[in-house]
Amino acid sequence: MKTVIAAVLLAAALPAGAAELRFATTADPNTLDPHAGNSSPVFSMLGNVYEGLVRRGRDMSIEPALATAWEPIGDGEGWRFTLREGVTFHGGEAFTAEDVLFSYERASAPEADTASWFAGVDRVKVVDPLTVEFHTERPNPIFPDSIANWMMMDAGWAAENGAERPDIERGNFATLNTNGTGPYRVTERQPGLRTVLDSFDGWWGDDRGNVTRAVHTPVQNAATAVAALLSGELDLIDPVPLQDIDRLRAAEGVDVIQGIEARIIMLGFPHDAEGLLAGGEGNPFTDPRVRAAVAHAIDVPAIVQTVMRGAAEPATQLIGAGLRGYSEGVTAPAYDPDRARALLAEAGHPDGFAFSLRCPNDRYLNDEAVCTAISTMLSQVGLQPVLETMPVANYWPALRADDHDMYLLGWSPGTFDAEHPLRFLAATPDEAQKLGSWNFGGYSDARVDELLPLIQSEIDEPARQAMIDEVVRIMAEDTAYVPLYVEPLVWGLRDGVEVVQRPDNFLNLRWIRMPG
Amino acid sequence: MLAFIIRRVFQSVIVLLAVGLVAFSMFRFVGDPIENLLGQERTVQDVERLRETLGLNDPFPVQYARFLGRAVQGDFGISYRQSRPVAQIIAERAPATLELAFVSGFLALTVGIGLGVFTAIRRDGWAANVIMSASLIGVSLPTFLIGILLIYVFGVQLRWLPTFGRGEVVQLGWWSTGFLTQSGLKSLILPAITLGLFQMTLIMRLVRSEMLEVLRQDYIRFARARGLAAKSVNFRHALKNTMVPVITVTGLQLGAIIAFAIITETVFQWPGVGLLFINAVQFVDIPVMAAYLMLISVMFVMINLLVDILYVWVDPRLRIDGRHA
Repeated sequence: MKTVIAAVLLAAALPAGAAELRFATTADPNTLDPHAGNSSPVFSMLGNVYEGLVRRGRDMSIEPALATAWEPIGDGEGWRFTLREGVTFHGGEAFTAEDVLFSYERASAPEADTASWFAGVDRVKVVDPLTVEFHTERPNPIFPDSIANWMMMDAGWAAENGAERPDIERGNFATLNTNGTGPYRVTERQPGLRTVLDSFDGWWGDDRGNVTRAVHTPVQNAATAVAALLSGELDLIDPVPLQDIDRLRAAEGVDVIQGIEARIIMLGFPHDAEGLLAGGEGNPFTDPRVRAAVAHAIDVPAIVQTVMRGAAEPATQLIGAGLRGYSEGVTAPAYDPDRARALLAEAGHPDGFAFSLRCPNDRYLNDEAVCTAISTMLSQVGLQPVLETMPVANYWPALRADDHDMYLLGWSPGTFDAEHPLRFLAATPDEAQKLGSWNFGGYSDARVDELLPLIQSEIDEPARQAMIDEVVRIMAEDTAYVPLYVEPLVWGLRDGVEVVQRPDNFLNLRWIRMPG
Repeated sequence: MLAFIIRRVFQSVIVLLAVGLVAFSMFRFVGDPIENLLGQERTVQDVERLRETLGLNDPFPVQYARFLGRAVQGDFGISYRQSRPVAQIIAERAPATLELAFVSGFLALTVGIGLGVFTAIRRDGWAANVIMSASLIGVSLPTFLIGILLIYVFGVQLRWLPTFGRGEVVQLGWWSTGFLTQSGLKSLILPAITLGLFQMTLIMRLVRSEMLEVLRQDYIRFARARGLAAKSVNFRHALKNTMVPVITVTGLQLGAIIAFAIITETVFQWPGVGLLFINAVQFVDIPVMAAYLMLISVMFVMINLLVDILYVWVDPRLRIDGRHA
């Protein structure tokens, strides 16, 4: 009886259509400081709380947020942003150009984890309280795209609480507390356990659903999350294990929504190694015919159908279809084991050779199973892969130490543009230039290196696309990587909950509609 | 007695130091924490700066010495994952684990002893046989499977009990308790059974076999022959004499309940130190792992010490020997 009365009172206190969303994801954001973390769990959560000058819409396109308009300055000297008037932070402070300047200094500080977004920015100039200019060394056509996750913090609030700079090691006030301009405020934060967001009535926008309160619980064990969804204790879970999709679809009261993420899963080669871990003579992978043989030996559609239960999509290049700069007309090498055997024979390895295939076992969906399948397929054309899987905490250090032959890699382009994977995966590794930092195999092509800076500074869209197409073609002909598939995105929902699923796997609470 | 305790405490300190040394030499194999601390767009300079600030470039004996130096002052460092003092995080999480361990330990002990005595006295009864067979499940099934089964039956199918979490908690000073709310108590049931089932069956089987042994002894026969009440014979004379091994096992198992709550806490998303530890391992959160391992070894060492003292108290024969030692 008591609970009934409480429920009635609660319902009376909330505006019509108000609803509470209880959701679970695997990872808890490790900080609430938007400049101290550069990972999808952090941005997904904070995207509801803080806002940037621009943001991404339902279709991932860039749209106005705290800036209402932006334009290039002169002939590619930078970008000028016009700010939105009358925006206030959750604490009541007005949002001005000074806050933009402060947020730039904070996010580009050496202590921050977001400094790479501002690599080409010389200086930031406050023209008037509603106009800010970003001057860049070179023309930068994708600058607005690259700052969609750059969030504005109030200068006064940060100074008052001693959080002028992010602190990854020791944490500070901004690690646990927030003060953004977004549609939700963080009203409770227990790191690793529970985060409560309540809607902010003073938000400037009007595109929002009916969620007035959202409670987030990180649940690491997938079976626990599925059980809690089935028992009605949760309204949304991300992700759903692929093997549970059919079961959840069949169950009453719950549903599954699936799409694809922006992450491409691919195989990498030891391009610059002198020999292989497995021993043997020299490094056969330096021969493009051997790499092509590997590509022809792998039946990607079969992996997608069986291991990924039909949820993934085969990939042709290092970004997925629909992202900016995607090259049309490129096809993936067909599955052709005879061709693979012929290529190996032609390259002088008719009996194959032994090499190590390294894979993480806790990083991507079903990563270990995918590698087992690949290993079998490679064996069928005569190669002798030795599969070694390990937790990701050990995997990256091994790859960085060049302790690998062939390896599995997933890449999610932070800017949702074709230039991003080229910079990190295709450019010849160069620490000083901050290029190729994830190009573990040391792939190197002079023409690709020559085109990359041109792509980065070309304002003219068709000319830029032509150069990207050329790079994609070179990499395909070279079999620099073997792009496998685009990772699926699978969420479990309580019946009647409407959500928008984007390829960046961010959960935008303001687009969620709960049943009445 | 005092000399005995002092000697044991001294031995305990050496055990602790050894545990810490082994733990620290292992951390290198857990992975590189920097990979999780910085995003994919980091530069080599960022990595180097962070590595230096965190002291990860030092050899492990140096890192261990630094940890010890701070730990004796009560400073366990700052968690990499949460950017907060580890001592504070553990203090926040400890009540959840201790309450769970207390309830499952209590269940295991009372039900275990009760059923053990029952099955020993009625050793040929059908009820005793059913209980003995059922107890095989508790001994042989792995914890996570029992947890998932309980969740499926009582959480998903019957919907009587919550499937995860601790429910609503009440804050009493720094201690958060789930004992004072209905949802808190309901949330305790499934994890407590999951965690305590193994210990319960273990204690039950132990008490049963010890009881069977004792019941054969002459003094029990004489007690029966004298016409003493069955209750008095079974519980005052027989049960009391089975207690020495039961105390040892229970003591060690209490430590195990706290230390191995990890699996139960993961299955039920129970917000205790076990879950904290698992997350720390995945994130390579070295300060949390180090503090947890040291804490658990302190606990085991203390429990062993207490058990030794209890022995002496329960068994007068040991008391006489102890005086001579």
